Amino acid sequence: MDTPSAHSHKLRQHYPQKHNHYNFSDFFQFNKPEGSITDWNGSRNILTSEDFIIGLLEGLEEEVGAASAAVMYSIGLEWGKQDSLFFDQWFEREYNVSPQQANLMFLLETWWWPFTAQGWGRWEIDMADRTQGFMFINLFDSAVARTLGDVGKPVCYLYAGLFAGFFTEMVRKQLSCIEIQCYSMGETYCKFLLGAKERIDAAAFWLNEGATASDIEKRLRSGDSL
Amino acid sequence: MLSQIQTLVREVDGRYATDAELMFLQDYLKTARLRFSAYQKIQKAEKDIIQQVKQKLKLADPNLLVRGKVDLSVKWHRDTVRVLRYCAHALLISDEEGLEESFLLWFQSIMRSFKAQHSCDITYKVMQDIVRQHLTPQEAELFCPILAQARLLLGQ
Repeated sequence: MDTPSAHSHKLRQHYPQKHNHYNFSDFFQFNKPEGSITDWNGSRNILTSEDFIIGLLEGLEEEVGAASAAVMYSIGLEWGKQDSLFFDQWFEREYNVSPQQANLMFLLETWWWPFTAQGWGRWEIDMADRTQGFMFINLFDSAVARTLGDVGKPVCYLYAGLFAGFFTEMVRKQLSCIEIQCYSMGETYCKFLLGAKERIDAAAFWLNEGATASDIEKRLRSGDSL
Repeated sequence: MLSQIQTLVREVDGRYATDAELMFLQDYLKTARLRFSAYQKIQKAEKDIIQQVKQKLKLADPNLLVRGKVDLSVKWHRDTVRVLRYCAHALLISDEEGLEESFLLWFQSIMRSFKAQHSCDITYKVMQDIVRQHLTPQEAELFCPILAQARLLLGQ
């Protein structure tokens, strides 16, 4: 997890034009006297164990019960919105081009790379249906799902919120996101659907009725709605 | 090798390394001279290698580096020089693992963003043939697998 910090990254100061800076020793800077970790973009990072993730989720569930999913989604949403603004700054600083002028896929890959370096997993975006107003994101090695293991239900609400928040801010249009397939359901990777609220509500309904990710994809592509 | 040295230092904690654990250093020393000479040849011939690859690509498919009305030659040149230099560096220090982790995986996502997998696939296939003209067979035997690794990752 990261929060803005006053610590600047020394390697970045020496090599501001180095873009492939995502391996562990390049991306993170360990500020030993302060006991802090800063990343390439100047964010403060903390290292957490799987026990921490389990503790966070189980503690929250104990406090608010079934609403914990909505709480995690909201945390992700706010995080994504704030990170979008932060990303605009560092993208422009690093590439000397505004995000609006950049190739969209390049922009999105660049946004996600720090998350990959931080251990949130690799992703793959499927924008084939973008003109229809929705898109899919495949996430490999979700930190949350990997930690919880096969619990038979989707668990990556934090990620769904993060994607909704980031893309909402990026396209200046209210978007929602739902995880329609999860590693914690015994699948090999997680899959998220991003789109307008009514579409996501429809997907949530189908999911509750027992539809699979592939069913939902088919229904959306055939123009089905509630 | 640098990645292997880091692993060695981490794993051989408070004891002496076994012969098997040191084998990679022996292997490196056996090929070090070849690596240095190949590295220097690639460095000197960089311009020619890139030019020859480009010529061969244009012969094979004149439209490979054109998208619509946009000529991608300059961008291709910049990317290809960058890959060649990183690969040469990996050859010098015998660190394919580090090459993948610090460069190729990131560059793969960038090449995919620009849908450049096809041109990468052909570029690093052709480059293996071209560098054989500049290196001895023993040197090429060390370098071509690194280019093949670049082709595998960037070409798909």
